[in-house]
Amino acid sequence: MKTKIRNLAVFVCICSVITLLLAVTNFITAPIIEENQNAAANQALMEVMPDAQGFEVVDISTLTLPATVTEVNKETSGLGYVIKLKTAGYGSDMIIMCGVTNDGVVTGAVCLSSNETLGKEKTYGENFKDKDAAGVESVDIITGATKTTEAYKNAIKDALNSVVILGGGSVDIRTEAEILADNLSAAFPDGEGSFEKMFMVEYLEGIDAVYTATNGKGFVFAVGEQFVGVDTDGTVVTEGVEDATLFTNALAVIKATVTEDIDLTSFPDLAKHVVSAKKTASGNFILETKGAGYGIKGGNEYHPASGEYIIVRVAVTPDMQILDCITVSEAETDGLGDACADESFYGRFAGKTVNDYKEIDAISGATLTTDGYLQAIERAFNAVKTLNGGAENE
Amino acid sequence: MNKNTSASVLLNGILKENPVLVLILGTCPTLATTTTVDGAFGMGIAAMAVLICSNVFISLLRKVIPESMRIPCYIVIIAGFVTIVKMLVQAFLPDLYVTLGVYLDLITVNCIILGRAEMFANKNPVVASALDGIGMGLGFTLALTLMSTIREVFGAASFAGIAIPFLENYKIEFFTKAPGGLVVYGLLIALIYVVTHGRAPVKKSFSCEGCPNAGTCHGAACEKKGAES
Repeated sequence: MKTKIRNLAVFVCICSVITLLLAVTNFITAPIIEENQNAAANQALMEVMPDAQGFEVVDISTLTLPATVTEVNKETSGLGYVIKLKTAGYGSDMIIMCGVTNDGVVTGAVCLSSNETLGKEKTYGENFKDKDAAGVESVDIITGATKTTEAYKNAIKDALNSVVILGGGSVDIRTEAEILADNLSAAFPDGEGSFEKMFMVEYLEGIDAVYTATNGKGFVFAVGEQFVGVDTDGTVVTEGVEDATLFTNALAVIKATVTEDIDLTSFPDLAKHVVSAKKTASGNFILETKGAGYGIKGGNEYHPASGEYIIVRVAVTPDMQILDCITVSEAETDGLGDACADESFYGRFAGKTVNDYKEIDAISGATLTTDGYLQAIERAFNAVKTLNGGAENE
Repeated sequence: MNKNTSASVLLNGILKENPVLVLILGTCPTLATTTTVDGAFGMGIAAMAVLICSNVFISLLRKVIPESMRIPCYIVIIAGFVTIVKMLVQAFLPDLYVTLGVYLDLITVNCIILGRAEMFANKNPVVASALDGIGMGLGFTLALTLMSTIREVFGAASFAGIAIPFLENYKIEFFTKAPGGLVVYGLLIALIYVVTHGRAPVKKSFSCEGCPNAGTCHGAACEKKGAES
């Protein structure tokens, strides 16, 4: 028993001495370690705002900031803010740190972590240094790294907007799609916020675009910045519209539109590339045609998703002008060629004619896709020629 | 100081009884931290600091520490010194702290330190134990540095982070991976064997004296086994 107590006492003594040594070491090193850790955390912040004295984290839980903003650090001497943003790049999320002065000038931007294929994001931030909102807008997107650099640029814009909001100002932080949805709902509240863009098969004088309420109660006509809601009876529901003739006329044209299917069996060569063809009573054609995009030309014959071709729906007048164009299906490369399914691409063809449709800008990094798309449209024009009595000619 | 002179105690650890290349102790940190010279050298110095302190402390207390409680006592002492070294490295060498990562904590269970406590420090006076700590620590550091030099120079075409331009296009990435580490380790063991003409491994340290159970067993089990075989 005595030995056991003695052993225990020795062990307790050894533990006490070691604990004392640890306490002394901790007393000396703890403040230094804390200082090191703060310095490391501030290093990234200092990198984008070199003149900063120090930073404090701002509580953003009560503020309405752009969704990309994850952290806001205020510079203690009142120089501005360093904002941490998280945005979706091409490969995965990019974490961006951006310094902005109170008067809205970018002091620096770096990408802290990313998994992008080309690595353009590593140096892209340098382009924004010392730029204000207009300057940021003028920074070019890098060809071949469109998604990455576009997301980067939008994040920088979000940082600038955040600083305006933090300074007590107000900024429209809605995306383009949100703005459009809000405009449509305001113009036609009965649409219950659900609208579809109408594929134009008739020329509507003075109208830029038509949106259909998906519940079938009416339409919204877009003319420049103006949105006007009209119900199915032809009553204009949007307030402040003085002359409703433009819209009632357009509605009458839409209601009077009759389409008729064209049988392609007598045009065997045409049927190879034309999926379907329709004709309106006024003589316009609605064609769905195929183009061989990167999927075929790039040597990859297998496309499980939506067939191996790009399929395009085009409405063409008898005098060879495109009324509207939309991508029906495509199986192009994600992040590059699949941009042909975005309205920002196919929307460029409306109003073009047989003579100038090839003048649109190609999709960056996807030349073969663009070629395939143009081929599909060319085939639509050829089909119109043939169906109007010309020789069947490919 | 038994029959050893101070010089021989100090030099033993460097070549004849090199902990890594002859006694084959501390294999885990050896393979893990030798991808870069900086990391390996830092690990060597950190382990040496712990080794010297724990050797001295254990030697001082060798007459106080009860036989049946010695392993818990050694572990407390070693873990205490590892934590002290860790705090110092974190405060004054933050880059090294990041490089070493979890291996710094693992010095606690490094066989070399516990092995020297058991094999040497608890039987020898303070000065000899300190010299043994320095010698073994130097041996460990040198072996790690040598191994990491081979791995970093041929695997990453750099030395201590400084790029070697003419090797840039001839990197053998194999050396930076675990199998490459094992191959280099094996070749160095062979080299030491050749250099010392195969006399390096002191049989005694591998038999009873080197065995952690020697204190309780007194060689009975081994001798019996030896007689049977």
